[in-house]
Amino acid sequence: MSKRILPLALPLVVALAVLVLVPALLQASGSGYLFRVSITAMIFAILAASLNFITGVAGLLSLGHAAFYGIGAYAAALLATQHGVPFLLTIPLAGVAAAIGGVLVALPTMRLVSIYFAVATLGMGEIIHGTLLNWVDFTRGPMGIPAIPSFKVFGLDLSGNLGSYLVVAVVMLASLWVLHRLTHSYYGNALRALREDDQCADSMGIDVVRLKGEVFAIACFFAGVAGALWAHTTGYISPNDFRFGESILVLAMIVVGGLGSLPGAVIGAVLLIVLPEALRPVGDVRMIVVGCVMFFSILLLPKGLFGEVSALNLVRSSFGGGWKAGTARQSIGWR
Amino acid sequence: MFDAFFVQQLVNGFSVGLVYALIAIGFTLIFGVLNVVNFAHGEVYMVGAYAGVVLITALAPPLVAVVLFVMAVGAVAGFGLERLAFKPFRRFQDEASLKSKAMREATLLSSLAVSIIVREVVEKVFGGAMRPVPFESQLTDPVQIGELSFSTGQFVIFGAAVAMFAGLQFLLYRTRIGLSIRAVANNPLGAKYVGIDTDRTIIATFVVGSVMGAVAGILVALYYGSVFPTMGFAPGVKAFVAMVMGGLSSIPGAVICAIFLGLAEAVATEFLAQGWSEMIAYGFLLLTLIFFPTGLFGGARDRV
Amino acid sequence: MTLSKTIRGVLAGVAAGAAVSMAALPALAQKTIALGYQAPLTGEMSQYGEVFRNSATLAVEQFNKSGKLPGATVVLKFEDSKNDAKEGVNIAKKFVDDPEIVGVLGDFSSTVSMAAAQVYAQAGLPQLSQTASHPDYVKISEWQFRNITTQAYEGPFVAKWALGEGKKKIAVIAIQNDWGQSVVSNFKDAVEKGGGQVTSVEFYNPGNRDFRTILTKVAREKPDAIYLGMFDEDGASLLQQRRQLNVQIPTYATSSLYSPKLIALAGPSSDGLKLSTTFAADSPEPVVKAYVDEYQSRYKAIPTMFAAQAYDATNIMLAAIAKVGPTVDRKTLRDALAQTAGFPGVTGETTFDPQTREPTKQLARMEIKGGQFALVK
Repeated sequence: MSKRILPLALPLVVALAVLVLVPALLQASGSGYLFRVSITAMIFAILAASLNFITGVAGLLSLGHAAFYGIGAYAAALLATQHGVPFLLTIPLAGVAAAIGGVLVALPTMRLVSIYFAVATLGMGEIIHGTLLNWVDFTRGPMGIPAIPSFKVFGLDLSGNLGSYLVVAVVMLASLWVLHRLTHSYYGNALRALREDDQCADSMGIDVVRLKGEVFAIACFFAGVAGALWAHTTGYISPNDFRFGESILVLAMIVVGGLGSLPGAVIGAVLLIVLPEALRPVGDVRMIVVGCVMFFSILLLPKGLFGEVSALNLVRSSFGGGWKAGTARQSIGWR
Repeated sequence: MFDAFFVQQLVNGFSVGLVYALIAIGFTLIFGVLNVVNFAHGEVYMVGAYAGVVLITALAPPLVAVVLFVMAVGAVAGFGLERLAFKPFRRFQDEASLKSKAMREATLLSSLAVSIIVREVVEKVFGGAMRPVPFESQLTDPVQIGELSFSTGQFVIFGAAVAMFAGLQFLLYRTRIGLSIRAVANNPLGAKYVGIDTDRTIIATFVVGSVMGAVAGILVALYYGSVFPTMGFAPGVKAFVAMVMGGLSSIPGAVICAIFLGLAEAVATEFLAQGWSEMIAYGFLLLTLIFFPTGLFGGARDRV
Repeated sequence: MTLSKTIRGVLAGVAAGAAVSMAALPALAQKTIALGYQAPLTGEMSQYGEVFRNSATLAVEQFNKSGKLPGATVVLKFEDSKNDAKEGVNIAKKFVDDPEIVGVLGDFSSTVSMAAAQVYAQAGLPQLSQTASHPDYVKISEWQFRNITTQAYEGPFVAKWALGEGKKKIAVIAIQNDWGQSVVSNFKDAVEKGGGQVTSVEFYNPGNRDFRTILTKVAREKPDAIYLGMFDEDGASLLQQRRQLNVQIPTYATSSLYSPKLIALAGPSSDGLKLSTTFAADSPEPVVKAYVDEYQSRYKAIPTMFAAQAYDATNIMLAAIAKVGPTVDRKTLRDALAQTAGFPGVTGETTFDPQTREPTKQLARMEIKGGQFALVK
């Protein structure tokens, strides 16, 4: 009986918290700063969740994720400033552009495994960043793209603190929901098989190459969506925002949070965005403190703050009656 | 036809490649044994350079003394790094942890965290700006041979790279500790079963690799005439790329690829803007990996 | 917003009233006016943020001591942006939230300044950047100001100088960022207009410190002169490698290379470099001398061009505050800033154009001789 209610309870609580409770508290505080930090944290939550899909779930270490984030941001910015496309369209189009980029990267690097794949993505990331920087005629190069319009739809101005927050929150919840459904399904099981042993997965009849391409396309789609949100909420982008350091930052988020765990990725993103801000009072040593927090969280919890095993247990206890022995549900996996 | 400018470009590229190679040697050694990326290697290189510059500024000793001092600093740095960022993660010896991706990524991140801390501390202590090396000690004097220009630093770096490479080959193939390093690199569990003290071997590897990194740091600092906190980052990434192109476990492969990367960048600058020529190096990386998925000099793929 | 404005208005009124009533005891009735300063205080650009902080602190302390603004004390609030646009925008929101802050200085790079500027433009908080030279920066809104000379002025100045010395074929080496782009386009136009020729333009990616390949490539063209558009550290590396490669082509540069650091890093290799500048630490002008002496005694270093820019930016802001008086708010400060004309700073006189808010300044010629910057007549 409770099993009928529970599958809806947890997502509802999360959605309510993100869409009602947090904005209400932020609105009460009247602080644009807190709104801004929350928006950045949510954008990076999407980014971390998408990288987690590649690296945590499918086991392909990617060191060039910032590049797809950048493709999305540039696609949205160029569409919005030069062709006046409204943001409802630029966000999915940015995702598609990044996904196409992801497939183009994935195609030649299919055969690579482990660290070879990681370095190939690093090289791709640097090439994409270099292109954004040096292809001056198309991307305006280091001049960046200023005056990207904020969220406006059907005459409704969502460019204020609350409006931007809600748009980003809705997109984040939708992205996380899709990634969650993909992770905890037969599809996700196939990906985990790919991660644990791709040769074995191959011999079991899983099309490894196709799966890798799909994973990359899906994850890059969401990275592109995150990029579009960044472009619209910031109003000015330049290649500097998509350097190698950003890829490493996102990787650090998912490792601190717990590889392979979606809640972990979100927690890691929130932690690594909020922590440097919260540490502003300590002044110039704050980055040393951030480094120390990262170090000790990995040292003490090498499987992450909210590791994959705990994440799977949570999913099973709250949604997946079918994964428990002796239940009457007919399906085996959680659909 | 002898094109002096083109040959000069090759010289330039070769010396850049040597810098990458100096870093790549230590990098590859550590990767070969532990099979994890040591993100802090660039910081060992930076710390070595700073230690050397501090000594030169204070005492102005001869180059040999500086190098010996930096070697000692590198050894301590390597030992400390291993204890701090790598040793704690070997407490999980059960099979599930050994196979777990999360565990392998954890050491990658712990070394990254250590590198952030070290870099920020150095920046706090010495400032973020470039620090000049005293002019008397710099290895920047021009040496003109015909139409080509060299600098003293290029010869020193070339000599050091040859010496390091030869020394390492000797250490790996002619000494007992080298034998155990190769054994652990090949199969840690097997090495343990035949009675090799894997812990000690790993520490020895870190010490040797970090000594090489630190010496590379000070030599390059003398060659460029300055040190700065982020000096290890860009060449560190290139060394990483060279290591992978070379096939991960092959030190000669990493050296050859590092020099190739330097040459490729220099020659590409001849035809393109510098901004694009950096991408040529990454382009070569991708081409190499597409046609040789385990690097140019790598063995068969390892099963995780 | 309106509520907080009313409250602030009331508070200001109370403070002003108190100031009048307690004129005999001015120390008791001090109102606090805050200026936000966002700059990279950690990370790879921290050396620039450091000198900004030094200069701005110095300027504010001198201002508070001078008694130019009775009844109020100005304080600075520094925030570290790490030269990261993410953090820059966060700081901007934080400053906008702070009712004490009436104006903002910074950021360092155009990228971060412009990302933050979107926030300031929306909220109506005047922003004065000491270094943002992106052509679009002041076009964002009427709230953006800068006191650095743009290349539209500096490029033709150096071009005229070089052409006047008979250098007809000039090669340009510049950093690949927004500023480098404007260095190249303005210089190139001016040279071609003056009858010269730009033989090649070489951009390099930020972070690159090996210029041997670029120098070799440029030397092949055998130009009469090389023009450098880069910062002091890159410039020092380049000059040193130029000497080592035995490339003996006269070299000109932008004012960004005016820094004692350049000579400390490049040593004898820097001799003969010619550059334009708005600031000269050894200038006999009393205002410059006072600043350099004070800075040196306090921070044990000779101020750079960047330090001087920050000092002037802070003083321009403070002068505008003094003009309005203790009741200053964001709007009145902006209007006062816009009227800045002939401000006598250490980098020369600054005037903001009433329409475009672009600064106009005077430039001087300089050459490095025997390890010293020397003014050229």
